[in-house]
Amino acid sequence: MLRTSINKRFYSSASETLLKTPLYDAHVQLGGKMVPYAGFEMPVLYKDQSHIESHNWVRSKVGLFDVSHMLQHTVIGKDSSKLLQKITPIDLSSLKPFQFSLSVLLNDKGGVIDDCIITKHDDNHYYVVTNAGCRAKDIAFIKKEASQFNDISHETFESTLLAIQGPKAQHVLQKFTNEDLSKIYFGNAKFVQLHNGQLIHLARSGYTGEDGFELSIPSTTPEDAKSAQDFFQTLINEYPDLVRPIGLAARDSLRLEAGMCLYGHELNEDITPIDASLAWLIPKSRRDDVNIRIKDGFNGASTILQQIKNKSTTSRRIGITSKGPSPRDNNKIFSEDGTTEIGYITSGSPSPTLGGNVAQAFIDKKFKIGSNVKIEIRGKKRDGVITKLPFVESNLYKP
Amino acid sequence: MFKSVLRTSSPLIRSSTLSIRSTIPSFTAKFSTSRVVFNSISHKVNQQSHLYKYLTEGPVSVKYTAEHEWLATFSDDTAFVGITKYASEALGDVTFVELPEIGDQVEVGDTIGSVESVKSASEIYSPIAGEVIAINENLESDPSLINSDPIGNGWIAQIKLANVEDVEASEELLTEEQYEASLEHE
Repeated sequence: MLRTSINKRFYSSASETLLKTPLYDAHVQLGGKMVPYAGFEMPVLYKDQSHIESHNWVRSKVGLFDVSHMLQHTVIGKDSSKLLQKITPIDLSSLKPFQFSLSVLLNDKGGVIDDCIITKHDDNHYYVVTNAGCRAKDIAFIKKEASQFNDISHETFESTLLAIQGPKAQHVLQKFTNEDLSKIYFGNAKFVQLHNGQLIHLARSGYTGEDGFELSIPSTTPEDAKSAQDFFQTLINEYPDLVRPIGLAARDSLRLEAGMCLYGHELNEDITPIDASLAWLIPKSRRDDVNIRIKDGFNGASTILQQIKNKSTTSRRIGITSKGPSPRDNNKIFSEDGTTEIGYITSGSPSPTLGGNVAQAFIDKKFKIGSNVKIEIRGKKRDGVITKLPFVESNLYKP
Repeated sequence: MFKSVLRTSSPLIRSSTLSIRSTIPSFTAKFSTSRVVFNSISHKVNQQSHLYKYLTEGPVSVKYTAEHEWLATFSDDTAFVGITKYASEALGDVTFVELPEIGDQVEVGDTIGSVESVKSASEIYSPIAGEVIAINENLESDPSLINSDPIGNGWIAQIKLANVEDVEASEELLTEEQYEASLEHE
């Protein structure tokens, strides 16, 4: 019998009422195959395009991803930097206004509550985006942490969050604004006016490894929601040879090839950023012992800084390539002779860009890149090779 | 579907000198494909195909499982197993098919392979007891046959039935009508 074990991250069983993003009607109109995801009804694929076709489209043209299910926050007030530097290991003084960085919300043990993008608007005003699947716990966590500070206003808001990704992203988006997009590099953001009159928050960023933008488009009034939906539809209708809506299926395979983490797979509350080979998230300026002190430090600093100092982690996050059946989450990894268990897979799938399979894994550090390993898939040990991340080099827009 | 293609195999063969397009509509119903009895260049029946004998003969019965497999039983007490169009569409682009080995003795529910797409892997369990006597090696070089022709050239394994009576006796094997009804509840 075919018992379809379709991946839980696409088909969570949600009996509660599912939320809809402002682009929901457009997805249905475009033939989106809607599935429950993190409490939302989201498109996983669109008609007339297979997973592999949609993946390749983004690598060569422009894909539009509705990511409005992600949670947007504003953190405002004199203590906002202090709060963010306590709950994440970021160094906000290193960011200029309207620059952003990836970071992680940390618990007291240094485990990752969620990953996030923090954009500095000014020293007292930050824009933060976190994962849809962590909405409830992130809000509770930040509220609790914020209550320890005096001058803080933390709020969340909904809008149309639209990722425009692919090598032709600037070419297409430039037709909809007078802002010179060639001057906005990866890692930077700006409030930008579209030709339709809407003032949007534009960040040169993404989750595919390709150049692109993430736009936060106001959608709380019916007029704004309609403008956002019209903008989405217009991009597709006016540039049918370049622009397609792309679902969650390709979003996952693209980020996997780009070596990016997915919360719940490579990251969780028992994994520190050091465990996950994300030491770069703790800048030099935050590695001083002063960060262990509660007053100045960040959550879990004692654990994390010890790990950095003593190089005490025994495994690391690394890539695996293989042929044949694809490695999937939680497959065990063994040494080449098959005798010793040395790690496990956190994400894996066939790679539309490269052919063969790619996977991310946590593996004993002693096993170097290029080493042959065995991956246990459906009871049989199969060949794999430890490979550096990313599998597909990022194509970001940098000066 | 397999059944409809097989049942109509003789008119298809007779009409092989005509253009495919004119012959297809009556056979393409819901699941069938135009590819089963032709090779792509000459439009002639590929008599070397393992399927050939079975195509000309037609199955005794075609059954389905609630888990989206089909089982086409022939008069020599063998049955072909594959996955339905519904399953192949749910999987999306098939990237890899793991086949059983010839000679494997299987019971109902034993793993006889797996079908993988980019986003998922699904094990295939035997809907019937018997011995695997043939496997579709074409799937190793072209797994997309599962997408293009799941109930035909995308067959996975041929099983010599342990007891031919099992096919009619099994409560888990559905008729086409029962299977279609089960899809409405998906």
